[in-house]
Amino acid sequence: MPQSPDLALAPRPAPSILATLARRNEVALLICLLALIIFFSLASSSFLTPRNLTNVLGQASLAMVAGVGVAIVVMSGEIDVSIGSLAGAVGIPLVTIMNMTESLPLGIAGALLLALVVGVVNGYLVAYLGINSLIATLGTMFIIRGGIYLYTGQRSIPDTAYLEEFFQLGNGRFFDFLPYPALISLIILAIFIYVMRMRPFGRQIYAVGGNPEVARLAGFDVRRVKFICLVISALLAGVAGILLSSRLGSAVHVAGLGFEFQVVAAVVLGGVSLAGGVGSLVGVALGVLILSFLSNGLGMLNLATEWQLVVTGGIIIAAVAFDEFKRRNQKQ
Amino acid sequence: MLDEARTGHAAAIDTSIPALEMVGIGKRFPGVLALENVDLRLEPGKVHALMGENGAGKSTLIKILAGVYEKDVGTIRIAGREVEIRTPRDALSQGIKVVFQEIALIPEFTVAENIFLEDYPTSGAGNIRWRKIRDDAAALFDRIGFKVNPDARTGDLPVSQQQMVEIARALASEARIVVMDEPTSSLTPTEVEMLFSVIRRLTSLGIAILYVSHKLDEIFEIADTVTVLRDGRHISTQPKTAHTSDTLIRDMIGRQIGDLFPRSRGAGTGDVVVGVSGLSTAKLADIAFEARAGEVLGVFGLMGAGRTELAKALVGYDPIRTGTITIGGSPLCPHDTRTAVSLGIGLLTEDRKTEGLMLELPVMHNMSLASLGRFANMSFLDEKRERSAVQEFVDRFRVKTPSLEQHIKNLSGGNQQKVLLARWLMRGLKVIVVDEPTRGIDVGAKSEIFALIDRLAAEGLAVIMMTSEMPELLGLSDRIMVMAEGRITATMGRDEATQEKILNAAIA
Repeated sequence: MPQSPDLALAPRPAPSILATLARRNEVALLICLLALIIFFSLASSSFLTPRNLTNVLGQASLAMVAGVGVAIVVMSGEIDVSIGSLAGAVGIPLVTIMNMTESLPLGIAGALLLALVVGVVNGYLVAYLGINSLIATLGTMFIIRGGIYLYTGQRSIPDTAYLEEFFQLGNGRFFDFLPYPALISLIILAIFIYVMRMRPFGRQIYAVGGNPEVARLAGFDVRRVKFICLVISALLAGVAGILLSSRLGSAVHVAGLGFEFQVVAAVVLGGVSLAGGVGSLVGVALGVLILSFLSNGLGMLNLATEWQLVVTGGIIIAAVAFDEFKRRNQKQ
Repeated sequence: MLDEARTGHAAAIDTSIPALEMVGIGKRFPGVLALENVDLRLEPGKVHALMGENGAGKSTLIKILAGVYEKDVGTIRIAGREVEIRTPRDALSQGIKVVFQEIALIPEFTVAENIFLEDYPTSGAGNIRWRKIRDDAAALFDRIGFKVNPDARTGDLPVSQQQMVEIARALASEARIVVMDEPTSSLTPTEVEMLFSVIRRLTSLGIAILYVSHKLDEIFEIADTVTVLRDGRHISTQPKTAHTSDTLIRDMIGRQIGDLFPRSRGAGTGDVVVGVSGLSTAKLADIAFEARAGEVLGVFGLMGAGRTELAKALVGYDPIRTGTITIGGSPLCPHDTRTAVSLGIGLLTEDRKTEGLMLELPVMHNMSLASLGRFANMSFLDEKRERSAVQEFVDRFRVKTPSLEQHIKNLSGGNQQKVLLARWLMRGLKVIVVDEPTRGIDVGAKSEIFALIDRLAAEGLAVIMMTSEMPELLGLSDRIMVMAEGRITATMGRDEATQEKILNAAIA
């Protein structure tokens, strides 16, 4: 016989903390990350040194910054693939303005202004014109890259101002320990973890991605939420581009090629569902770190970069397949 | 503490002015006049029932009130002041809270968070006060006697509890007008009692309730005034005491119920064409039954009872764990849709839009989809043959369409349903499973669908009809099978079936 009404009403026993933890995707990712670190420490003596570990954090910072932006776009139910071209493009106003004015803040302002314009265009196309976000941002990705080539004539624009603070931004270390880009990426990560958890706007993003119709009925402005997410994503891609440009010491016309896919890979690996509404920024950060440690460690083992790509691809598929498998088991 | 807030709020409600007046409301959709010159007037602190059959215009009216649709003509006044409601946000800011029949909760969020979704309590610095959300939700549940863990993930709750969460939301919001659309459709009797006490609490605070239902006993228990709509028009508004069941039904249906269910056939006594035994899936347990050629087997169940799941398992769509299904004597094995179709069983889905129609394609392509093989010469489509076969069905079923090239999204619900039925019949089926065949179809078209179903059975098909509509269940079925929580709880013949018996089995 079916359950009696009384039974149906009885509160379920609260799941134990351990069981809750085990269900969390972040814990699985953390275990993966630790396993990787242990493996590489055993395989290479120069891996587990403070210098190398902080280096990896520095290398991971670009994907971390841009990944936060892409993750919230994906959580809102859309995607942004224009970030690679954009990260490359912001170097142009940055370096050009610095060369003219010898001012880093003005250069950064120019770079972020370009990012803002691109974000507004992406947001308008997707949220207000209703163009599929993959198509819209794929379009802006090509347009921006084409614009870079046209403007630079397929050459890099060298930094001729030689500002010390510009060099330090991408290459210096905070207290001679943590690379500035890593510090910046952790601050941005912390801010957005706070926003997603504690601000109504963060919750609106999840609601809009989880079920836009319900979100609309709850009185949320679905289009505005998506618009803002795409603007944030562009601005963060701009920040990543500024750090990249400082690292390279110039505006390089091919900078950021393929960056969007590294970032999307890390976001998906971090457990953000491409269907929207599900995921956490802690997971995204772990996804970024896993891919960064993997590339660093495999490099130390002298594995050719060609093979690194193959391994990375395999791991992404395996992780997502595992996740899907787990979900199906839970459903049954 | 919520109550204190509410009492202050309620004191501001002037009980001499109508809480809501809708005057001369009209709304047209492509091909359908959904509402024509409808008036509605709600008094503060009263429960106003809105009744009518499916397609009468109830849901259009409340969607206009909720800001989901915009009215074409008419005026809306709230507490005497004329307002425009264009978006759900407008509706909320006017103090209108709609509890929809389809659950409008975010499954990934906790129950407590869903309660406060529309308006998160925040601190001075704008941070969400999670602790307050949780505590207020727990206190709210305590007060109405609703035992559910506020920290539970909403998607993990059974449908009936999700519906209660929806209803509890109305208490947490600053609503002056609460609209409830078929709130009891998936509730257990205990929960219905809980709902009614929630409604009494709301009215005692001066809140006006619009209660949409077609269940007579509920109306007589809870409503003060009843408005009946039929075919998009206002039929009557009277105090409950002026009504009897008979007068209400007369107003709702506007004709003898016999007209609605034509019957051109005798009792189905053909061969067994569907045999199911020991069938279990993720949502079904130990299902066994038979269906015969020439009969309509009605399957009734409340929301979440497993009707749709059974329909999908029968046509090889949902995976099965144990049990066997035979169609016309051959086992459905492998259990997939391809084999099912080749054995001669087809499904008319509950959700036409997402699982049945290809909205952007013309009528012709929608209809011929399952029979393309028949019109192929050496794997090229013979469009002439396709066209003539489609035309034949369009004529036979009286599908109202300007041409075979018309995009199907421009047809009315009833005509879309006919096209989908034709899709399966064109293949030559033995069994058709229809899931909620008249959902979202207006009354006129309904009787045509009923006539079609009757004729299919008369032509020797076995029809398995999943429905939550009592009149069509009783009017069309030769035998009735009742489901609850994924099991069959009763099977009865046409003659022994009564509404009470069926409902008792459905809530068992």
